[in-house]
Amino acid sequence: MPIFDQGYQHWKGHLSGHAWRWLAVTRHGVRIGMQGRVFRAVLLVSLLPAVCLATALCLWGLAERKSDLVTTIVQFLVSAQILSPGVVDDPRHYRLEIWTLCYNFFLSVELTLSMILIVLVGPNLISQDLRFNALPLYLSRPLRRIDYLAGKLGVIAAFLGLSIIVPCLLTYALGLMFSLDFSIVTDTYRLLLASVAYGVVIILSAGMLILALSSLSRNSRYVALFWLSIWIVSNIVSGVLETTQQVQRRNAHFRQVHLAQQTQAGLSREERRRRMDALRAEQEAQMAEFETQQLEASKSDWRPLVSYTANLSRIGRQLLGTDACWEKLSEVQPSPMRKRFVAQWSGPRYPWYWSAGVLAGLFGLSACILSLSVRSLDRLR
Amino acid sequence: MLFQFEGVTKTYGSVVALDNLSVTAPAGAIGLLGPNGSGKTTMIRSLLGLTRVDRGSGQVLGMDFKHRQLDIRRAVGFVPEDECLFPHVVGVEFVTYAGELVGMSTKDAMQRSHEVLDYVGLGEARYRKVESYSTGMKQRLKLASAIVHDPQLLILDEPTNGMDPRGREDLLELARDLVHNKGMSLLFSSHLLPDVESVCEEIIVLGKGKLLTEGNIQQLKQLHNRSFEVRLKADARPFAERLSALGCGAQMRDDSLLVQIPEGRTQQLLWEVAAQERVQIRNLRPQRSTLEEVFLKALEQA
Repeated sequence: MPIFDQGYQHWKGHLSGHAWRWLAVTRHGVRIGMQGRVFRAVLLVSLLPAVCLATALCLWGLAERKSDLVTTIVQFLVSAQILSPGVVDDPRHYRLEIWTLCYNFFLSVELTLSMILIVLVGPNLISQDLRFNALPLYLSRPLRRIDYLAGKLGVIAAFLGLSIIVPCLLTYALGLMFSLDFSIVTDTYRLLLASVAYGVVIILSAGMLILALSSLSRNSRYVALFWLSIWIVSNIVSGVLETTQQVQRRNAHFRQVHLAQQTQAGLSREERRRRMDALRAEQEAQMAEFETQQLEASKSDWRPLVSYTANLSRIGRQLLGTDACWEKLSEVQPSPMRKRFVAQWSGPRYPWYWSAGVLAGLFGLSACILSLSVRSLDRLR
Repeated sequence: MLFQFEGVTKTYGSVVALDNLSVTAPAGAIGLLGPNGSGKTTMIRSLLGLTRVDRGSGQVLGMDFKHRQLDIRRAVGFVPEDECLFPHVVGVEFVTYAGELVGMSTKDAMQRSHEVLDYVGLGEARYRKVESYSTGMKQRLKLASAIVHDPQLLILDEPTNGMDPRGREDLLELARDLVHNKGMSLLFSSHLLPDVESVCEEIIVLGKGKLLTEGNIQQLKQLHNRSFEVRLKADARPFAERLSALGCGAQMRDDSLLVQIPEGRTQQLLWEVAAQERVQIRNLRPQRSTLEEVFLKALEQA
């Protein structure tokens, strides 16, 4: 007769050491996170930009080899003014720049998708443990507070790593395979390191911030709202401040041109046309000058610092060297257009360490909040 | 030796939670008694290395609780008093996760969690969300998660609080089985003296952070040589009046009579009076203190 109830049996298995105990918390968090359908869908969507990046790098690899497979596509891109003929003529010379810009666009999109992923998975991480009073269960086991927090941060790292760092690595390998030129490694390995480093910055900064917010409330909806306000509202405020400043500068700059236009009353048609042409040329020059001034002014403009994602973007651009790439690509532009081209495409030029300071401050603040909110059992009720 | 405290003092601001506490507990089932604020929870937290003591030293299962907290927590299972859960999981995931946090591999923890859930009687509810469990089921779930790694010492902090009589008896039965049949040591903190008495052999009584009394429950409930509990078949009042007239103390209890025999007389006196009064003694035994009396006496002495 079989024995169905064996009662309590002693267990003689092996217990692992303490060093990787945080990994259990991470595994559990990932399992719980993956239970959400919406989250799984967004995670899947967040992988689509990686497909685009891989496609772009593969096409560029084929373009470098002058493959017939991509001739039509390259011609289309040139005719659509997406690629300059000068770049297409010597693709290897602009390899690093094209790769960098592809990675930059990919990481910009992923930054937005990361914010969405975080709002779906992050708020529950600590707030639910506080709500269900799970901390005594954690801390009465061989787990320190730092292990608990590292485990929770690991959940964010796992998901963002999957959507940012893993695609960077895979697409890099794919790009290498399609170019069939291993000099590409020496040209672009810094880009790979930079993109991974940028991914780590996003993970650490956003991860610590959402954990700190999550530890402030037992209701994860409030945490999600708080996160959205940090992400979206800070973007809006920063945008409004920047636009206001830009409009004021523009108005001041073009006031003289408007005044000149207003004095055309009473002139003959021929005279008016001649003056209009002169004004138009003047306007073009003024616009170019204005954009150059904008570029100069952006070097000391603090307004983008208000936006959380703008700060991350600024660090990303610095790590990837995106601005230098735009500078180099402007070489193929007509000489008068170069400054305008750079001004149009590169982002704010304020010192990157301003953003690093803001992010470091937020990191420190998050660490303080976590230290106070996730208390040891000694201080629990 | 299960654990040992030597001159341990712990203060929270001006509040002295443990006051130069020295105590040694042997292996087995230990009841930890004391009124609210007596230092029971602080003592448990000190045992687990969850709180840093101001002075003194101690060992748990031969390990210094100041320096080997993580090793101690690995060898100990703890069931906290408060209602606490890992949210959004089913029962078997809950216990598996608890095992993983102690250092078990996922496979071992999963296999073991099925075993212990069967053992605590939650086999049928293992795939239900833990948020839907009743209070009794949650307590048993916490017990299962505390024993998943087969600890040497199990600490139960007020485990029967808020439970119905049936659930309470089930939990006590599990605790008894673990101690008496499975060789696990137990530290059982509770206000409910019958619960402690039904599970433990030894007690430690704390008051204001100090040790009031400790020892074997049966020895503490000492026999009284001159005091007897008597049960009669008939009405006990004439018998009691007759004993009082002979200089005995006679006090009616629920269904028995508590008799104090004066110096120089023996229990033979009771038989003689019963014969004279023509009543039948159904039960005669020396009076033994209850655990409640031991507890109250210890508090009075403090």
